[in-house]
Amino acid sequence: MGLLRYTTYRFLQAIPVLIGISILTFVLANLTPGDPVRLMLQGVEADQEMIEQVEARYGLDRPMHERYLDYMAGLVQGDMGHSFHRNQDVASLIASRIGPTLLLVLSAYAFALVTSIPLGIIAAKRRNEPFDHVSRIVALLGVSTPSFWIGIMLILIFAVQLGWLPSADLVYPWWSPEVYGHDGYLEHFVETIRHLVLPMIALGTLQMATLMRVERTQMIESLQGEYVKLARAYGVPERTILRKHAFQVAQLPIITIVGLNLSTALGGAVLIEFVFNINGLGRLFYEAIIQLDYQLIMGITMIIATMFVIGVIITDIAYAYIDPRVTYGEAE
Amino acid sequence: MGTNLNGLTRRRVLTSGAVTASVALAGCIGGNGNGDDNGDDVADISEYQYDREEPDDEDRSDSLEFLQPAERDEDFDPVVSFDSYSAQVMNLVFDNLYEWDDEMGLEPKIADGMPEEQDDGETYVFEIKEGIEFHNGDEVTAADVAHSFTAPVEEETDNAASYAMIESTEVIDDHTLEVNLEHPYGPFTMVTMGVEVVPEDVRTDDRDAFNTDPIGSGPFQFADFQQGEYVELERWDDYWDEPHPHIEEIRFEAAPDDANRIAQILAGDTDVIDTVPATEWDEVEGADDVVIHGSRSPSYMYLAFNCNEGETTNPDVRRAVGHSFSMHDFVNEHLGPAADPLVSPVPEITNDSGDWDFPVDDWAEMMPEYDPDQAQELLEDAGVPEDWEPTIIAPEGGPREALAERIGSRLTEIGYGADVQGMSFATLVDTYTTGNADDYEMYLLGWTGGPDPDAYFYNLFHESQEGVGQGHFYEGQGDFHDSIMNARQSADQDDRRELYIDVTEEILDYMPVLPAYSEHNTMAAREEVKDLHAHPAVSFNPRIVSNYQNTWIDE
Repeated sequence: MGLLRYTTYRFLQAIPVLIGISILTFVLANLTPGDPVRLMLQGVEADQEMIEQVEARYGLDRPMHERYLDYMAGLVQGDMGHSFHRNQDVASLIASRIGPTLLLVLSAYAFALVTSIPLGIIAAKRRNEPFDHVSRIVALLGVSTPSFWIGIMLILIFAVQLGWLPSADLVYPWWSPEVYGHDGYLEHFVETIRHLVLPMIALGTLQMATLMRVERTQMIESLQGEYVKLARAYGVPERTILRKHAFQVAQLPIITIVGLNLSTALGGAVLIEFVFNINGLGRLFYEAIIQLDYQLIMGITMIIATMFVIGVIITDIAYAYIDPRVTYGEAE
Repeated sequence: MGTNLNGLTRRRVLTSGAVTASVALAGCIGGNGNGDDNGDDVADISEYQYDREEPDDEDRSDSLEFLQPAERDEDFDPVVSFDSYSAQVMNLVFDNLYEWDDEMGLEPKIADGMPEEQDDGETYVFEIKEGIEFHNGDEVTAADVAHSFTAPVEEETDNAASYAMIESTEVIDDHTLEVNLEHPYGPFTMVTMGVEVVPEDVRTDDRDAFNTDPIGSGPFQFADFQQGEYVELERWDDYWDEPHPHIEEIRFEAAPDDANRIAQILAGDTDVIDTVPATEWDEVEGADDVVIHGSRSPSYMYLAFNCNEGETTNPDVRRAVGHSFSMHDFVNEHLGPAADPLVSPVPEITNDSGDWDFPVDDWAEMMPEYDPDQAQELLEDAGVPEDWEPTIIAPEGGPREALAERIGSRLTEIGYGADVQGMSFATLVDTYTTGNADDYEMYLLGWTGGPDPDAYFYNLFHESQEGVGQGHFYEGQGDFHDSIMNARQSADQDDRRELYIDVTEEILDYMPVLPAYSEHNTMAAREEVKDLHAHPAVSFNPRIVSNYQNTWIDE
């Protein structure tokens, strides 16, 4: 099966998955205890009649299945609905918030990959030496420490105590420097990085620790493989063995983990966005849930689910691309 | 009703109690928590109010960043806006017909003196000052004021109820306006006539555009706005009134997480933050370069009993619960300087600002004292089963849930129990109005009114609000509900005062609700921010400029 056909096939496979997610999310959101209309009318000198009028205005007096079908009919036409709590289109709300989240998640991934792979390789190469012991302890701490706690500690140390880095907010590289009062793009770039460092580390530490453990294990396994022993017997330099023979094979599980951990990273972003006051999709999602803003909950869930599905498909494609043993046909 | 309102125009303060709940809220300030009524004085918020400090040079161009504790709804049109954090921005852009002073008394602003009252409070005639201009250069006229009064009802906005008593307005001339009410309305002279004045022509030309790029006649005008991100205001140099602000630019951003807001002020990443949580008070106060500013507020937290079903339909059971714990100790231990205990549904500042002169000392005498023996005796005499475990519901993760747990533990100590349930706000608002004893026998909520007691009595006790804004379903003795309505529809403050005294004493006697505490309005600012004063109303912070302050930055 060719790449294009395989990709098309995988995307078609994703449609029922997304429909399933939409049904589940819609039902769960609507079954959540609470009344969004009463919540919305807090403070308004309201009576029962007014409550019913507002319910009717937003269609909340109609059966759930009718509302779901209406929502899906709108969705296929590109209408993600209306946030009744914020009185804005869901699509525009998501569009305004997705940038910071992607910046955060992608930079956290970059941090995780850039740190975990070299550290994993070195740990594998120096197995049972002090570096390996330290890296394992670091990895264990990274896996077992909640990201929000790491974030709070980073703020306390590097922002409050030392004053080296900002305690909150991101500087958006896609906004002009003038918005922030920066003198040119160099300062804008530097400030973007300064604001990104702490949340990136907080969110990326879990990924880093996970990937480092896997990288180390895979590299140890690779370095013990018959083909490596053969290469050594032929006198192939150790650096070449590491780079050409052991490394490439060891990356296959890493690719899988990177793809599948996207949802974990997006979930972690909710808390990190709160801790660092980042105005992203995660914070919006949290508030949508608190406010029982059904269409906003649906919209964000569908976007995250779509991103996750795309991430998995790309992972599969990359997997087949890297490992010659995996063909597109087999991967079906 | 659910939560906190800025009662001046009944704007929503927090859309959710849980938004700010991600910080640890389990801490307590001082005290051993054993419930002894040890008589310690609760710290006085006046310790966090400071004398004026004025700069040497008057011609200043300072800039200030202000962090808000919740996201704004981004409605900046006073006719539409119903959240206090949009109002914080809005109140610097618009002038009011009458403005609230630092103790919530109304003073003429755009109005030229107090109105002439006619027809026993059914008609008011306002004189408008001449020469006041909006930011676009148009003069403020009586027609603009009339539109500001009537538009919320005509357009059925969330603010409609605040102006629903207005029957008609008549523009006598450009600077004279007659407002006719359907009936005398007690809060009119204390609340309603504090309306923000909007330019009718500009607003009605494009309401949506006006909502996000408003034009007022206040000391600041819109400079930049990014939806969901920030609002920047700049000083309007042609402002008609004195003094002109020292601050040239002010930027509003939201930081809903308490811990982050505190970290930002401690790290010096921002200038001023709104709301210092009680749990963070010591840390902020201990910082060398940060100053806490506080003010009494018209907030009212209360414990309400289900008078519709269950054991709490018996007034003696309610009284017993009141005797089972010490509110004074709870406030002292959990809230410290961030709140004051209450002895009635009327916060202290409401009593003072409206010159009500209510018999607060007498009411304090009527409040149940901590007396577990009496509580036990009352419950036994009332025939309450030994396995009674009332359900107490409260917003999760804050002092009200802590208070619910305190009551539960005290009931346990005297041989009963309690099922304390902290709930998300969305769940709570759908639960506390059912009147079903299986759902709750007690609930803890709050309300923020203003200088007029009607905001508390009508919304929280009148029968018309049963199942909507109140879930105690107290039927009252005799004229209870009529008294509340009569006080609302009277312009005679003496009559109203007597009616409210009767109503309050019945509440304290029959106890459908036990007053709990009033949380103060607080801000924390970097030390270099000078002449900043917390206002009792959330929506007026940061005030920046008034006849009692002109905030500046000591660089």
